[in-house]
Amino acid sequence: MRRQVGVWLLIGTMGLMASAAVSDAVAQEKTIKIGALFPLSGPGAYFGAQDKQGIELALEELNKVGVNGYKFTIQYEDSACSPLPASQAAKRLLDQYKPDVIIGEECSDATLAIMPIIAQAKTPMINAGSSSIKITDPGNPYTFRIMPDEVMQGVDIATQAYNKLNARTAVLLYENTNAGIGNAKVFKDTFEKLGGKIVADIGFGRDVNDFTSIATRIAGVGKVDVIPTYTLEGQGLKITQALAQAGVVKGGDGAAIQLGTIWLPFGFEQKAGKAALGYVRIVQFDPTDQRDAVKNFVAGFKAKFNAEPTHINAHAYDQIMLIADVVKRGAKDAQSIRDTLAATKDFKGVTGSVEFDKNNQNIKMDTIHYMETRPDLSWNALKWN
Amino acid sequence: MSATIVAQQAINGIVLGSLYVLVALGLTLIYGVLVQINFAHADFVTLGAFAAYFLMHLTGASYLASIGAALGVGALLGWAINLTIFAPLRHKGSELLPLIATIGVSTMMQNAMLAWFGPVPYAFETPYSQQVYRVAGTFFTLQSVIIIAVSGATIAALYAFMKFTFLGKALRAVAQDRETAALMGINPNHLIMLTIVISSALAGMAGAMLAPVLVLTPFAGTSVIVKAFAIVIIGGFGNVEGTILAGLLVGLIESFTTQFLDPGLIDIVVFGLLLAMLAFRPTGLVSERREENV
Repeated sequence: MRRQVGVWLLIGTMGLMASAAVSDAVAQEKTIKIGALFPLSGPGAYFGAQDKQGIELALEELNKVGVNGYKFTIQYEDSACSPLPASQAAKRLLDQYKPDVIIGEECSDATLAIMPIIAQAKTPMINAGSSSIKITDPGNPYTFRIMPDEVMQGVDIATQAYNKLNARTAVLLYENTNAGIGNAKVFKDTFEKLGGKIVADIGFGRDVNDFTSIATRIAGVGKVDVIPTYTLEGQGLKITQALAQAGVVKGGDGAAIQLGTIWLPFGFEQKAGKAALGYVRIVQFDPTDQRDAVKNFVAGFKAKFNAEPTHINAHAYDQIMLIADVVKRGAKDAQSIRDTLAATKDFKGVTGSVEFDKNNQNIKMDTIHYMETRPDLSWNALKWN
Repeated sequence: MSATIVAQQAINGIVLGSLYVLVALGLTLIYGVLVQINFAHADFVTLGAFAAYFLMHLTGASYLASIGAALGVGALLGWAINLTIFAPLRHKGSELLPLIATIGVSTMMQNAMLAWFGPVPYAFETPYSQQVYRVAGTFFTLQSVIIIAVSGATIAALYAFMKFTFLGKALRAVAQDRETAALMGINPNHLIMLTIVISSALAGMAGAMLAPVLVLTPFAGTSVIVKAFAIVIIGGFGNVEGTILAGLLVGLIESFTTQFLDPGLIDIVVFGLLLAMLAFRPTGLVSERREENV
């Protein structure tokens, strides 16, 4: 009798173990694998560090209960904001991790390099940091962009500069990359069409450290109303300070207004100091937005990281939340995620809304907010859109 | 084109060139004595910059004190790395091993700094970079004056050390012929250690001087090191006077290329000059026998 009880106990235990194993296997199947391609080294590494924070916060919230029975896992690869390492990272990610969806890159050159690779693997990719028009025009069926492209931003900022700031002369300052050159060209075309004049067109490499010579050249070109600037945060800081030292911009008692788009994160003004006074720029995340989603995101971010969120944190958070949204709408693998993403009509993220056109470009403009730097280095929302 | 703009770009070029000289001097010194390229030099510069930054921001020390601290950190690091990595490899008799080790040290330091300091650029402000003087249509900051003064003083001190002190003469003897110097009672290993310590100290100090100019990240030094290598070659491998001349020349080329051509062409002009030097004057701007360079 005792032996029979022992046998039944053994069978029961084995049954429970088998059931647990099956349940584990099912749980394993109910996972959406996200591959993340972000710069974790090099001059664009600040993007990757802030992207990771936004992602971690989103995953922490989502994985508490899951979505439609799915949990989310992530694997990062360092794509270094540069085409070659980005291509290698993409191949590594696809070969080894086999993600259902990819998020990244930040820099346009890197994004353009990995697009054919992810399309060949039929894996969708959501981008929130690269502005080059080439990414979605013509683009490919697997690449989606949730932020405005360079044309949407460039046309808008040039028009606002001409109409709202009465700017008639401009100096273009940009890094010699796809995104830098593309953004500057859109501004130039729009501004000149409106009747404005470009008095100097200055491109520079990412290895330039001292911008005093460039500021000197700008100081010598005569009256300048606006200086649209397209560069990463580090060089952006040095440019703003050099322009102030040369007495060109308001921060250096000059008359010109520096214009910028989304390249610079929240906190830029505090680092640049008085030199940033009067800087007008597009930000794609307004931390003072009174929507519940934004308030919850800001509160959650502060609680987790003891810091104010930047637009980079917010973009990464939105990328994950958009994936969760398509899973909620029934997507479960790479192909269905792609198809459901393409059908997105009114996703409400913390940076704004998302609706994709036939090229997978977000057509919503409520992600563009204009801010001007006040004397105390805080933001004055210009409410131009 | 007004004379004021030309004068302003000349000032800009001399300030930038002085910074390049500070970075390149350490490289020149090591090449002159060891005939070795130190690929980790850029990271010594970066660490010096961070040492100065944190000393100023955590303890409230003055900028000038932070320059001294960066010099000390550089010297200490050079001593430690030579003792634990370079010297043991040199004693194995291969010249290639220490060279490869400098690449390893560079990668290790970059990633260690990335882990410690993070990738977000730091804004290194000194009280002097905000003080702008405007004279006869030109402008310069007090920071620029300090850069030129410290660079000048460093060059003079190094020159005096090499020419007029016993250690300097011994170091030149080791550069000329290590074995004969040893027969004369000079311990080459001590002198090699001294060379690496001086070179690293110069790199650390250059970091503190560059930090307010550079975009301060764990990769900051790499953005100037390629130019510094070019300066060492243009100046004449291991030649101190040539390095000073070439550093100032490259600074001026950058300024005037920005003004008259395009900043996107700077590297083409600088490295075009480097190729021209290699083709037509491979001994560099100041030609001497390598053994007499240091």
